[in-house]
Formats: sequence, structure tokens, C-alpha cells
Amino acid sequence: MLFLFRIIKFSFQDIARNIWLTIATVMILLLALFSINTLIAVRLISDNAVSAVKEKIDISLYLSAEATESQIMDLKTQITNLDNVANVNYISKQSAMDSFRVKYENNPEVLAALSELGRNPLSPSLIIIPKNFDQSDLVINGLKAINNPIIESRDFSDNTSILTKINNITKRINELGLFVISVFILISLLVVYNAIRVAIYTHRQEIEIMRLVGASNYFIYLPYLCSAIVYSLLSTLVIISIFYPLLTLIQPYLEVFFMGYSINILSYFVDNFVLIFGSQFLIVVFINALASLFAVRKYSKI
Amino acid sequence: MINLENVSKTYRSKVKVVKNVNIIVKPGEFVSIVGQSGAGKTTIVRLLIGEEKADEGKIMVGDWDITNIRKKEVPYLRRQIGVIFQDFKLLPKKTLEENTSFALEVSGGKLSKIKKIVPSVLKIVGLYEERKRYPHEVSGGEQQRTAIARALVHQPKILLADEPTGNLDAINANDIINLLLRINKFGTTVILVTHNKEIVNRLNKRVITMDHGQIINDQEHGKYLL
Repeated sequence: MLFLFRIIKFSFQDIARNIWLTIATVMILLLALFSINTLIAVRLISDNAVSAVKEKIDISLYLSAEATESQIMDLKTQITNLDNVANVNYISKQSAMDSFRVKYENNPEVLAALSELGRNPLSPSLIIIPKNFDQSDLVINGLKAINNPIIESRDFSDNTSILTKINNITKRINELGLFVISVFILISLLVVYNAIRVAIYTHRQEIEIMRLVGASNYFIYLPYLCSAIVYSLLSTLVIISIFYPLLTLIQPYLEVFFMGYSINILSYFVDNFVLIFGSQFLIVVFINALASLFAVRKYSKI
Repeated sequence: MINLENVSKTYRSKVKVVKNVNIIVKPGEFVSIVGQSGAGKTTIVRLLIGEEKADEGKIMVGDWDITNIRKKEVPYLRRQIGVIFQDFKLLPKKTLEENTSFALEVSGGKLSKIKKIVPSVLKIVGLYEERKRYPHEVSGGEQQRTAIARALVHQPKILLADEPTGNLDAINANDIINLLLRINKFGTTVILVTHNKEIVNRLNKRVITMDHGQIINDQEHGKYLL
């Protein structure tokens, strides 16, 4: 207990009496954490953008207006049983009409034309959702193989090339994003590692004296570990207090940009608070601890 | 108390800095080790505090054979031998009192013991009133006295002083030597490493003279010969 108390005491004394070194170390940690969190946010926005584009593409089968409910249900079951199909939504003639009316509720001319027609001109349809967007081609091939007379038209022939393009773009974004994040994290780790080593380099005289007066390695190392935890905690708390207001500021602009799509990076950071900031805190503590251990070993050879 | 038996030490540069040295220091003795730069005096100090290991020979401190001392045992050795250096080696961000108590704190000394011993050693070295000051706020002599206070808190049986007056003026140097003599009177064995001729001649104590890593003279009431 006394041992622990003294380690904490020495650590806090060191933090307070070397306040500029503390500020510099925390600032470097902050920059690294800010960069990583910015990358997470950018990745989230790009993922949402890709999903938004994907949502625009339907794999739809338009059915004959005369098709009976049982024929449609049989076809739906047949498609549902295909590999790679997650779900099949049946849009009846009436549902299609209801959606149409909602969509054009502010356009009286279209609605008037529909009334004049005196009947429901829309066809029932099946909307097919693949298990995985990347496997859309397989789903389309499966649908092409179905030869059912109630199928009036198949609306996916034009989508194939778009799907291929989007798949390629998504793949490249993922590869590039992963590369950029990896490089950035590596640079951040090296910067933090060296910052801590520089901090301890300035303490080399102190470490030497500690050894001379009979301090054990644990007693030399643990106050630095304790300081490392404090630096990490401080920088994590500051990044939280900077990042959340920033996200709150950006969110309305994102909502305008992605109008009609659900994108909320603020709630993503709130929902994944422990995962995002907890893991960042632990990683920073780990690097700090490692750098401290190496530096103490190097300077305590006396 | 201290026994060096046929001790030799060679550094990586292949230069043999200590050659076949034999020294026996009895409890309570005051011994000066003198010699010019490169004579091997400081290497003897480094061997005695476990900073270096001898290539040949045997080193005993009390009943403890430290010839091949393990790394984890070194802190325990250093709690039994007080050491002071020319450059004081004080922690600049700690007060004189904190520097003194630090040696006890790192070795797990109880708070009650620290409260009792630290003020008393600070009084012995005449720094009790200055205890709240930082090293840069006091003179070189006062810094060296703080280093002595720190070395004394473990109540060591041996005090090694490696050129303790090297950075001090004549008055402060005399004060430090007088302090070492007082500490020796209390029963602590003192080994003074120096090349200050005047001090050695004034002491009229045992003098071991080294030259090129070898002992060339060992006199009970010696003088600085070189």
C-alpha cells in the first residue's frame, strides 16, 4: 500500500513539476487521437455514401397484372429459396398505387391524370434484396434462369454494369481506407512512442540517481507507467471534449448532404463510445507503457 | 569490512584500468585513495557499488561476496553503501528534504522512520533550515552536504566519496571534509577518492596511492606522494 502510494505520489509530483513536458506529451497524444478519430468519421461517412448509392439500385421483377396471389406467392417462395437472396418484398398493385399517391401527393396534375384513367395501371412487383451486395450478380443470374409466365419484365439488365462499378469503387475505397488508416495509425504510434521516449530521456539523470540510491527497477519504472496512464487519460478526455462538439457541429451539414438517408455520425460515436474511446485509451496506455519500459531499461543500466 | 583480492578490470577498449589490486579496509577506518586521472580510483568505487564487475579477483563487502553480484541485488547493496560524487547527483525537481528522504522512500522505508531520520541527518549536515529549498537555490557546498545527508539516511556502515570536493571552493571543501571526519567518528567507514593534495596531507589518515591501475603505496598515516 505504501509502495503504491509512493509510486502515485512520485508520478503526480513529476507531472506537476514538469508541467511543460506534460503539456507537450499530451498535445502529441491529442494530435494522434484526433487524426485517428477523424479517419474513423471519414470512413463512416464514405461507408454511408456507398450504402446510399447501393440503396438506389433495385433488383425488381414486374409481374403481370392478371397474376393471381397464389402464383405470385409461389414465385416469391421460389426466389426466396435461391442462394444469396436475403429477402423478397412483394408490392401488390394496391401497395404500388398507395406508394405512388404518397410520392406524388404534391403533384395534383399527376394525381388528376391517374383519376381520369379510372383504373390501377400499375403492376405488382417483387423487390429482391441480396444477402450481400457483392453477390448481386449471382442473384441476377438466378433470376434470369427463372422462366415464369407471370414475369412481365425484369428491371436489372442495366444495373449490372452499375453494380460492377460500385463494387469496384467500394472495394477500392475499402482498400485505400484500410491502407491510409494503417499508415496513419503506424505514424501516430511512432510519434507517441518517440514523444514518451523523449520525455523519459529528459529524466535519464533522475533514473540514474534513483538507481544510485538503491531504487529497484520496479520503483523506477512504475511511476513512469502511472504518468503514462495519466497522460493517456488526459488526452482521451480532451479528445472526447473536443470531438463531440465538433460532430454536433458537422451533423446538420451531413443530414442536408445525405437528405433522405439515415446518417448520424454523432449517434454512431455515442453508441460506440466505450469501444472507440476505450480501445484508444488502452492502446495509448500500451504504447506509453512500452516506450517507458524501453527507455527506463536503456537509461537505468548504471 | 571491505576486501579486494587480486582485482583486475579491463574495459572494452582493452585497457586494463585496475591491475591486480589488493585492499583491505577495516571497520571504522578513514581511507583516502589518491592518484592522477586514469589511475583507476573511480573504477574501484564503481566496482564497490556494483556498477562494474571485476574481470578477475574477489570483492567482499562485509560478509557479502559482490564479485558476481546479480542485477536485482544491486539496489540492496546500494542501500548499505552511501555514495557521494563530485557532481552531487541531486534530483533538481525535488527539495533538499525530498532528495534526502527519497533514498528511504524508494527502499520502502516506513513513514515514521523517514520522519525521524531525515530531520536528524539534515541537522547533522547543517541543512535543516534550508530543507524546503531546491538544489539550484543553494550553494555547491550545500548541495554536496545534501548528497551526504541522502547517503546517510540508510545509516550505512560504509560511505564512498568520489571526488566530493572537486566542484567546491576551498572553504566549502574543508567543510565537507570536516563533515566526513565527523561521520567517521560516529563509526562509519569512509573511503575518500580524491586528487586534492592539501586535503589528503591535512587529514593524516591512511592513504592508498594508485598509478596506472596499480597500488604503488599504502601508508597508515600517509601523505600525497605524486
